[in-house]
Amino acid sequence: MKKFGDEYIRRFGLSRIIEHWLNAAVFAVLVLTGLSQKFHDYSVSQWIVMTLGGIDVTRLIHRYTGILFAGLTIPHILAASFGFLFLKWQPSIIIHKNDFRDAIVNIKYYLGLEEHPARCDRYDYKQKFEYWGVVVGGLLMIATGAILWMPAFTARFLPGEFIPAAKALHTNEALLAFLVIVIWHIYNSVFSPEVFPIDTVMFTGKISKERMMHEHPLEYERLFGVSLEGSKAEKTSEEEMMT
Amino acid sequence: MLFSYILGIILLVLAAFPLNSLSAESSISASDQACMMCHSQEQDLTFDGGEKLSLKVNIEDLGRSVHRIISCSDCHGFTADQHPKRTFKNRRQYTAYSAKVCTQCHVSHKTKIHEKLLSQSPKGTVCSDCHGSHSIQRARELSKGNHYCLNCHQRELSITFKTGEKQSIHINEAILNISVHKNLSCTDCHFGFSSEEHPLRAFRSKRDYSIAMSESCRRCHFDKYSRTLEGIHYNLLTHGNLNAPVCTDCHGAHSVYSGRKEKLANAKKCERCHPEVYKTYTQSVHGGALILEHNEDVPICSDCHKAHDMTDPRTTDFRNAVPQMCGNCHADKDLMAKYGLSTAVVETYLQDFHGVTLKFYKQQGKSVKPIAVCIDCHGIHDITKVNAPNAPMIKANLVKRCQKCHKDATANFPDSWVSHYKPSLKKAPLVYMVNFGYRIFIPFMIIGLILQIILHVWRYAVNR
Repeated sequence: MKKFGDEYIRRFGLSRIIEHWLNAAVFAVLVLTGLSQKFHDYSVSQWIVMTLGGIDVTRLIHRYTGILFAGLTIPHILAASFGFLFLKWQPSIIIHKNDFRDAIVNIKYYLGLEEHPARCDRYDYKQKFEYWGVVVGGLLMIATGAILWMPAFTARFLPGEFIPAAKALHTNEALLAFLVIVIWHIYNSVFSPEVFPIDTVMFTGKISKERMMHEHPLEYERLFGVSLEGSKAEKTSEEEMMT
Repeated sequence: MLFSYILGIILLVLAAFPLNSLSAESSISASDQACMMCHSQEQDLTFDGGEKLSLKVNIEDLGRSVHRIISCSDCHGFTADQHPKRTFKNRRQYTAYSAKVCTQCHVSHKTKIHEKLLSQSPKGTVCSDCHGSHSIQRARELSKGNHYCLNCHQRELSITFKTGEKQSIHINEAILNISVHKNLSCTDCHFGFSSEEHPLRAFRSKRDYSIAMSESCRRCHFDKYSRTLEGIHYNLLTHGNLNAPVCTDCHGAHSVYSGRKEKLANAKKCERCHPEVYKTYTQSVHGGALILEHNEDVPICSDCHKAHDMTDPRTTDFRNAVPQMCGNCHADKDLMAKYGLSTAVVETYLQDFHGVTLKFYKQQGKSVKPIAVCIDCHGIHDITKVNAPNAPMIKANLVKRCQKCHKDATANFPDSWVSHYKPSLKKAPLVYMVNFGYRIFIPFMIIGLILQIILHVWRYAVNR
């Protein structure tokens, strides 16, 4: 692989990388302090809570980390919206009907019903699914978290039942987010045979031309003004040689 | 033939004669026989007050007495020739006077109590009160076994404490016999005392005596005693509150009975010192059932406060133990089924925010702040049915309780508590629907993603 070392293309700027890892850290703390409250009967949860210094400290950490999470998520949404609307940023993360088609094509490809995998743009459907999961789920968690933090204040404006409902939403959504991250995201960025032992893009911000051609062919074509359709057979044989 | 006939008659005659009377008769000296000539007759002496004293002496009593070897005049000083007339105001004066003579022979006192009694005025107890006069016996022979002490203590005796308080030391045998301790002897509790030993002790007051005596319970009931050492009553006592109850205040002294037998009687013990609380309790759903329906399923004071190691109920530890106390009955399926009550109340509380917080506080060993437990909504001694008129669980009343901790709680706030119900379409439909949605969505999502991962790995392996 090293021989293609100079053939890397910048995919993410430093700010995106910092944002990702801040989000990861915040998420980890929230999961640790949150799920140990949800699964309070498990001894490992009790160990976490007691090690942190008790339930009140755990909740305090969870809530202030929640504020940090909101501080990452909300400015991101505002900045992205502003960028798309006024700075002509590429809305490449917006879900497109092609994404659904790509998903179906890929599943067919996995099953051997399709000859080639889906040809994706800058973000494939898996990445969009995760991104929007974090954004929409995050907003849901921020809103319900705020309700749970200030139940009496909430009850001034909303029916009392919204508080246990917010708790149900918060706790279920947390479990879902946790499972999606540990199963899907960790698979795609660590254990997937395509990236194993680790996907380096979120560390270096750069992607090899090789991987880009393979995973984001449409973006590659647009970027370099070439068509990859013809060279596909050649490329797969090259890949075989490498491995 | 004739000889044996005569012998039979002789035997019959002998049998008709009580042997002991014969022997008594034979042991009587001539001078005593002179006394008995008159004193075997039925005759009375009348005192000034009209009180009568029989002058008849039962010859059989004399025969059984340890004093059968001495003569009448040895004690009475009279002989048949010298029989001066004396006058006494009353019978007691005569008795006291007569008893003085005992000390002529019995110069040393076996026990301190004799010394004390004899040093008191003759109006007090004299020798013959306990030992008898003509039928005089060693005290230990007077009665057998357990009730040796009653020789003296069945009499109307009393003691005076330093404070001037008087206390009867008369013991009613009937009361002893209904006690669970009826097979114990007096000295098992009143240790240091025996037929040989009766030390003198001086207590300042009756209360001091009771407190000191209650210490003897621990000789058998050490487990209970050691638990009382952790109790608030003992603590009060050691801090100088002598009114704090000791064993005998609740269990009785001579009529000891188990506290477990009858719940109402047990609760009434507490009433003596805690009348206000007891009154409130009688009006609660539990107390009402106990008193009006004689329902023994309900808790009494000691079920929550414990009997021996009751701790201060104002402490946080006590508060934190409340869900467990209520849970003792309210999580018992069989018991609650009798009254159509749900046992979900405990579980729903424990899984709720308050219950979880409480659980961790207990683990931490300290509470950061008071957490709502059962009693905060349902009341303490005044617990009512949840559907009773003006019950504290009615929303309007409940909001006041919420406001104790959630200062800014408004009228809507109590609805945030789904009142021990598992969310359903009827109760808390919003919560139910959220949970229901995720119960389908989470497995759908996770199974879908895992399938994709498996397919992806499989495709990769096939391509290689």
